[in-house]
Amino acid sequence: MREVVSTLRQAQDIARSTTRRRGSGDRSAWAFLAPYAIATLLLVLVPALLTFRYAFTDFTGLGSAGFNGLDNLRRLVDDPFFAASLRASAIHVAVAVPLRLFVAVGLALLLAAPRRGGRWYRVAVYLPTVVPDIALALLFLWVLNPIYGPLNQVLGAVGLPQPTWLATTWGARSGVILMLLFPIGEAFLVALATRRSLNARLYEAAALDGCSPRMQLRHITLPLMAPVLLLLAVRDTALLLQVSFVPAYLLTDGGPGNATLYLPIYIYDQAFEFLGFGYSAMLTLVLLAITLVVIALQLLVVRRWRILQ
Amino acid sequence: MSVRFVGVDKSYGPVRALQSLDLEVYDGELLVLVGPSGCGKSTSLRLIAGLEQPTSGRVYVDDADVTDLRPHRRDVAMVFQDLALYPHMTVRDNVAFGPRIRREPAEAARSRVDRTLSQLGIDGAADRYPDQLSGGQRQRVALARAMVREPRIYLMDEPLSDLDAQLRLRARAEIVELHRAIGATTVYVTHDQAEAMTMGDRIAVLVDGRLHQVGTPAQVYDEPADVTVAGFLGSPPMNLVPGGGVLGGEPDTIVGVRPEDLHVHAEAAAGQPAARVSVVESLGSESVLLLRCDDGTRLAARTPPRSPHLPGDVLGLSVERSHVFGHDDGLRREDWG
Repeated sequence: MREVVSTLRQAQDIARSTTRRRGSGDRSAWAFLAPYAIATLLLVLVPALLTFRYAFTDFTGLGSAGFNGLDNLRRLVDDPFFAASLRASAIHVAVAVPLRLFVAVGLALLLAAPRRGGRWYRVAVYLPTVVPDIALALLFLWVLNPIYGPLNQVLGAVGLPQPTWLATTWGARSGVILMLLFPIGEAFLVALATRRSLNARLYEAAALDGCSPRMQLRHITLPLMAPVLLLLAVRDTALLLQVSFVPAYLLTDGGPGNATLYLPIYIYDQAFEFLGFGYSAMLTLVLLAITLVVIALQLLVVRRWRILQ
Repeated sequence: MSVRFVGVDKSYGPVRALQSLDLEVYDGELLVLVGPSGCGKSTSLRLIAGLEQPTSGRVYVDDADVTDLRPHRRDVAMVFQDLALYPHMTVRDNVAFGPRIRREPAEAARSRVDRTLSQLGIDGAADRYPDQLSGGQRQRVALARAMVREPRIYLMDEPLSDLDAQLRLRARAEIVELHRAIGATTVYVTHDQAEAMTMGDRIAVLVDGRLHQVGTPAQVYDEPADVTVAGFLGSPPMNLVPGGGVLGGEPDTIVGVRPEDLHVHAEAAAGQPAARVSVVESLGSESVLLLRCDDGTRLAARTPPRSPHLPGDVLGLSVERSHVFGHDDGLRREDWG
């Protein structure tokens, strides 16, 4: 009996100490989280809320903000730079998203099968993703240099025309997109993991029916990967609408002639170059709305797709 | 169509999955490849399908060497263990996929697909997706996908392993019936000896990549070629006791007695071995007594249901029929007793 009682006491002690430990664990977890929580609050949440408020003011960043109703929205409708900016962003997303997805998924499918040295190829594909945007943009300023840039030298060596890249409308647009074809590591990894999770027996069953690799890609691989591909497209759309700021700002600064005046650049110019904080807040809300609409449309398509295993 | 393995070896790196396999599957028969997990039975099937290449040796269909032929040129259909249904296609599309890929005339293909679906009783589920089907229905879809091809040879790799016990019994009988109706050569792989015994025209027992015996279920059960086969088939398996022990025999032998050939008596007669009951397993239709002899030998005896014996009882033993195997090579020597 005494043994039973002492065992029970030990159990209670252990339970108490575990509870205590969990309590202190909670506190230390919060301590670790605090810097990020505070930064998120100050740098993301507060500015986001302020944006909603400033969008309906004539705030210049200096002095006080006066409420001006829907003036910013009316100005936006008649603003030719906004129209140009919207156009540049739309072209950018419409071309870059499919291209980036094509490259990421294509490389993932090529490198999914185990092969000698495959790990190094996969590392090579992922590597540009860890390079900071600024470094990549500076590198591409050199790559795309029409006179001594390596790209034009290669094109010249094989007898192809050497465009002046960042000096022409489509050259600049292509240059930015070309650069964005390298940091695709995340989509590549997701596509690789998805392809590898597909049941190998499906391919054997198809092979017995005489399905060629091309037909397997069309009838098995792509349909089974479709939900993931659509989610990647959604993510990339949001990313390219909002985060193409750094590369474009460094490479082209919106030029030539507004060809790469993507919405984030126009918003930045309005806020920090022309001190139009109120107007740029309204532009930000419009960018947010466009992003949400595009994502909602894509998600509708995804939902209609059968969710597979 | 007959299938023949001639001296086939298959290695995966240092692992020898198959060792000099010589085996013929006769035209129109249902041959069951049976053995424990990892014995090489699925590998054999994949070699016939062309999904694997032998390390050495040849595979023949009739007299044609198909070793280097691509899978779809061999005119075989395979039902996979996990069934491998295309999850993004309906039942009908799954079954029609093969004919579509082979560019068969649409009208003929459609009517054959419909006929196969109704033959297997899944025409009502034709527009559903695999994840909307029961285990039994999925298994039928896999079978339909194989049948619609009307192949010369059917290969089945444990197609019933995901079904529950009741359904498996029914599906087993249905596959045998279908095989009789179609009459195509069929190679069926399983690790379930009951499936092997009840389904096969002949059974091939593979253990550790080596073929130990081929024969009718009765032959393999009644005259096992070696101790491995004797110990693998039967539940509980054959009692195997070194010669000179409680079951008698020469010292350089192993004596085997099937549990149903070991009879127990309430009183041990003079000169009869005796054993103490350690466990009584009541299986409804029969009872199995697990016995322990004085020298530590453990034996199993099958008795009629509702055995009157209890753990701790000491019983006399008599042997109706025994098998003798060589102690060193494990090979069958003779019937004895």
